[in-house]
Amino acid sequence: MNTMTMQDKSATQDQVLAADKPMPKTIRRSVLALSIDDAQLGDKAYASFADAIILDFVKEADRDWQTDLKTRMPAAIYAAGRGGAEVFVRVASGSAAAELDAVVFGGIAGIVLTGVTAATDITVAAHCLDTLEVSRGMARGSLEIDVEVDTAGGVWHALDIARASKRFGAFYINELVLCRSLGMQTTATLAFDPLEYIKSQLITVAVSVGGQALGMSYPLSLTGANVDEDTVKKAVRIARDTGFKGAVCAHASWIKHCNAGFCPSPEEAAYYVKVIEVFAEGLKRGMASVPIDGNMIDVPVDLRAKLYLKWANRVKARDEAKAAAHR
Amino acid sequence: MTDNTNNRRSWMIVSAHDAAALARCADIKPDVVVLDLEYTVPPKAKAAAREGLTAVIQKLADSQVEVFVRIDRDTRWADVRAAVTRGIRGIVFPGADSTDEVAEVGELITAIERERGVEPGATELVLMLESARGFWNADAIAKASPRVTALGVGRIDLTMRLGPVPQNEFRLYRFLMTRALLVARMLGKQPLGALWRPDSRGGVASKESTAKAAREARLMGFTGCVCAAPEQVAAVNEGFAQ
Repeated sequence: MNTMTMQDKSATQDQVLAADKPMPKTIRRSVLALSIDDAQLGDKAYASFADAIILDFVKEADRDWQTDLKTRMPAAIYAAGRGGAEVFVRVASGSAAAELDAVVFGGIAGIVLTGVTAATDITVAAHCLDTLEVSRGMARGSLEIDVEVDTAGGVWHALDIARASKRFGAFYINELVLCRSLGMQTTATLAFDPLEYIKSQLITVAVSVGGQALGMSYPLSLTGANVDEDTVKKAVRIARDTGFKGAVCAHASWIKHCNAGFCPSPEEAAYYVKVIEVFAEGLKRGMASVPIDGNMIDVPVDLRAKLYLKWANRVKARDEAKAAAHR
Repeated sequence: MTDNTNNRRSWMIVSAHDAAALARCADIKPDVVVLDLEYTVPPKAKAAAREGLTAVIQKLADSQVEVFVRIDRDTRWADVRAAVTRGIRGIVFPGADSTDEVAEVGELITAIERERGVEPGATELVLMLESARGFWNADAIAKASPRVTALGVGRIDLTMRLGPVPQNEFRLYRFLMTRALLVARMLGKQPLGALWRPDSRGGVASKESTAKAAREARLMGFTGCVCAAPEQVAAVNEGFAQ
């Protein structure tokens, strides 16, 4: 016999809310990649209002690239973060140790690892970060490892990869490179998304370890086209409904639509407030469910409203923090 | 960019006991002839098909076509023994779903190569995934023998095992194709499969529906597929052309 009381159910809800799943642990709706060689790096990052910036660098073969990067990276990190964005550095897993030594400095939130084919790529990078955090006076365990999924092995071993380190934060799907790696055509000629199941797998795996997946919906995900606003908005909505919590923006013009679309809208948030209030009133009257606008509100709907409202509030706080960085 | 170049687009199934069908191979010009010891051979004709296999292989090999033999999983030991000879490029193993059986077939081939003076390791193994277990263990299965050079998505057995044979599109198929593709690309094997729909099945397929199935598979990353009917060969070659 089910003897759970309303108070018990409420306690259970609080536990679920405390766990914060399946909401993103970090608000990262829009990500913009910029080169440290870009003379306008700081201005572009500042003006972008992206939630996160990924810094890219080139290893000059004819120079001592490590020394060069060590000299330039702190300023680049500062410039990229001036507008309140989290700053990441993109690192190749094949040469992770050398690259991490050259790019890990205070001010970064983590790294984005490319070319990952197995969990060992993560453990190697995590070990390097353990050492670098100590030697460079950074909080232990503070740096996140995100994975840019661009290989068949990266998809196949996604669960092992995501579980390989507590530092794991997100999968970013680099659709163009992944398609090339899989021998797929890189023109969006199919009527369906050929990566549909891969995306489903990566989203599910990421959430299962408390992380998130970032990606765009097909075909914009593949073409990366600079299209009109309505097209971007629709693509973002589909991506959010698929389970992505943000996207790497191929164009700066995508950012505002990702920021607005990868979270509950103000109208949705207002509705959730209403749901929570009306359901609480219903509980007081001893009801297990109450109607709102023809929809039946019960425990799971109330729980979802609380989760989504919490998500909306975190997004609001994130936007306020970025706005403060611009003042 | 993964290299999609291959000369094995169309893998045409031909009954190993059907002399008339075998005689037509030269005209149809598939990239690969797959001599079948499985479903297209009636049980009563299996022994004769095995006995006549060496002569058929020699004749086809002389015409420069690549020859594989599709064995029956239930009688694989006898079929492999009949098939491994100079002139064949490999064995098509349908329904493989454990590492043990793939390794066993690989070792059996090794023993017969040695016995018959066939170049050691020359005989390839093509695995056709036809079961839920096979798809779930695809990476381990494909790594179970160094002879494995291609990984394919089965069709009839697959739809039978994973649910009722669909009256319309088998909607699970794209998920299964994705899994096979991932493993094939991860391990450097040829991915075989086509996006078959009801109107592109062997018995009712048109040239257009077959070419579409092959073309969509090529766009998904596949580079060849099995042809159940000779009429599909030209369309498959066209669909997989780069």
